[in-house]
Amino acid sequence: MFNRELLKGSTSLVVLQLLAERDMYGYELVKELEKRSDQHLQVKEGTLYPALHKLEKQEYIECYWQEQEKGPARKYYRITDEGVQMLKEKTEEWQQFVQVINKVMGSPEHDPS
Amino acid sequence: MIHLNVKASYLQKLEKELKKHPQKRDILQDYDSHLSELVQEKIEEIKTTDEWERIFAERIGHPKEVAMLWQEELSVTPSKTFYLFLLLNAAFFVGGSILTFVHFQSQYAWVRHTWAALTSIPLLIMAIYLGFWALLGYEIGKSFGARGRSLMKKTFAISVIPNFGLMLLVLFRVVPHEWFDPLLTETFITLCVGAFFLMYPVCYAGYKWGKKKSV
Repeated sequence: MFNRELLKGSTSLVVLQLLAERDMYGYELVKELEKRSDQHLQVKEGTLYPALHKLEKQEYIECYWQEQEKGPARKYYRITDEGVQMLKEKTEEWQQFVQVINKVMGSPEHDPS
Repeated sequence: MIHLNVKASYLQKLEKELKKHPQKRDILQDYDSHLSELVQEKIEEIKTTDEWERIFAERIGHPKEVAMLWQEELSVTPSKTFYLFLLLNAAFFVGGSILTFVHFQSQYAWVRHTWAALTSIPLLIMAIYLGFWALLGYEIGKSFGARGRSLMKKTFAISVIPNFGLMLLVLFRVVPHEWFDPLLTETFITLCVGAFFLMYPVCYAGYKWGKKKSV
């Protein structure tokens, strides 16, 4: 598992990415994140809801309640058009950052062998 | 049924730690649902109170830590931001008015020096003041993202009233130009009017930049 601090700054981006694929409820988001990262990315689940609330307040996501056949209704989150736009911008920024870091870390001067 | 007691106890502690948070009910409902899902997942493997308490703390966090995250969120609200920038702009005006009045009325050397120093760098002051409007837009964009656009417009429209009023008073010479000697040359007045119309684009650019940093 990675250092949680590494994930902290990317939680919102990851949440937007997952919600861009389909609407999810809080617990499902956590499980999906763990599954997709082979358990490498694990958020402290209590921190997820303030992050979701912030994204909702910023109008990047919105929520709705859905009744279940079994059990109580669940609060689902879906991405908004503004959220899709923000995700696009941040993904581009992130990819550029990763490219630059890979370039630096992969240079012969830094080869530990 | 142990898990129900541990869950109830966790939620009670969280409720206490959330104090008077305005969204307390919704927050507790979110954690209630989340804990129920967690219980469903772990019900076959966890049997004791200690184990339930440990798994809740490990996975969710202690109620105090969770509540702190929610309290932090309250430190920046649209209304606090609105009033902060409104008051800051009003403070510029009150400060400037007091200095102008005192300079016009008094013979104190330090007042004359301060006035002379400030009136010798009008373009720098204008640039700093435009920076204030950029900061207003940036902070709103960063904190409130897409939703901040309407807050930025509202804060700008109301904060700018004193600026607009003063501009009209000066342009129509309701305020005697001698009060601002030697500042009010034709060139300077033209620059001020130009800067006035630049304020919104600068504020909007600040907002766009801040919005990029909101996620």
